[in-house]
Amino acid sequence: MTLAERIAAFRDIAEEWLRGLYHGMISHPAYEKIENEAEDIEDAFMLACFPDAFGIPSPVSYYTAELLPYLEDEFEAWERRMWDRGSLLERKGQQYHF
Amino acid sequence: MRKFVFFGGKGGVGKTTVSSAYALKCANAGLRTLVVSTDPAHSTSDVFDQQFDDTPKPVDGVSGLDAMELDPEEEVSRHLQGIKRSLSTQVSPAMVNEIDRQVEMAHQTPGAYEAALFDRFVDVMRDSDEYDRVVFDTSPTGGTLRLLSLPEFLEGWAERLLAKRKQSVRLFERAAIGGREPRRMREGDPVIAQLEERRDRFALAGRLLREEAAFFLVVNPDELSIRETRRAIGSLDDATLDVRGLVVNKLTPEPDDDENGRGARFLRDRVQTERERLKTLREEFDKPVVAEIATRIAEVKGDLLAEVASEIDVEVRAEPAE
Repeated sequence: MTLAERIAAFRDIAEEWLRGLYHGMISHPAYEKIENEAEDIEDAFMLACFPDAFGIPSPVSYYTAELLPYLEDEFEAWERRMWDRGSLLERKGQQYHF
Repeated sequence: MRKFVFFGGKGGVGKTTVSSAYALKCANAGLRTLVVSTDPAHSTSDVFDQQFDDTPKPVDGVSGLDAMELDPEEEVSRHLQGIKRSLSTQVSPAMVNEIDRQVEMAHQTPGAYEAALFDRFVDVMRDSDEYDRVVFDTSPTGGTLRLLSLPEFLEGWAERLLAKRKQSVRLFERAAIGGREPRRMREGDPVIAQLEERRDRFALAGRLLREEAAFFLVVNPDELSIRETRRAIGSLDDATLDVRGLVVNKLTPEPDDDENGRGARFLRDRVQTERERLKTLREEFDKPVVAEIATRIAEVKGDLLAEVASEIDVEVRAEPAE
């Protein structure tokens, strides 16, 4: 292996590490955080739409039922998140990488 | 008079009679008129001795008068069927049951009837181009009148949901850094489209009710009916709806002076108390008493209806557009 090839190989490795480091430290937590925030708002939206899922009667659930066919993924994810979540603190805490 | 005229009041005060009579009066004056009954008991059919259903049908023997009866139960099941149809095309079989339960539940909640009724009200008002006058005989159940004061509230609610949904979608789009596919997109989001349609519908209902509808309350000369009327006026006024007056129905006829039997004495006493109550209605309410209709011995239908119609002193001519 010539010197030039060895340098090129080293640069490839360094580049990969740097990209990984950047992804892990900057971009991944960033979009994860934003996505978490989006999920939280979606949860609030779902709760406002279907409070009767928790036994709170809502005079407007007749109208929100129209949205259900389009909310399949959201509905499932929402229910799952509602079960998983121990407390609001736990969920909010997840957004920070200690 | 405005295009949409609503008659409301406590159960059994004679709303159907009064609204049918007023519709007859309008039709006889040459206006294309539609009378809409929302009472599940549907006494319009009895008044005109003819069966009506969910679509307007001409009333026999009266030119220019159509009638229809709204059935909230039917509307609720139609709504349910519609959602189930789109469920089966949109949702994977694994989730159908889960979501189906939620949909069923939504149609059992206390508000479902009222919501269905409200939808039909708006439909009728929106598709009423061929009529000059639409007379609504509102049902006493569940406070139809209160329902009519709600569009603003519902519009605000739809607006808030819409804002939430837009916000979460925007964040999902933003989270898609570096060419990742966002989880949800603003473009073509069916939930946003549906909510926007709802909001526009509520806005339309609110505008029509505030600007093109007039309300009358039918009241009997008894304590309960008067109290209920006072509350109804309060909530309609709060919603800035236009209450035009009171129709006093079922007044007791006075006996002749030379009669002095037990029946005559009873009637005289009764007339006396009713005069007091009429006085209350005139003095304590800031709405005018537009008609005083005496109790009839027979059921009010046929010729009697025309007679009652002549006692209702409510303007028939259309108002120039504001």
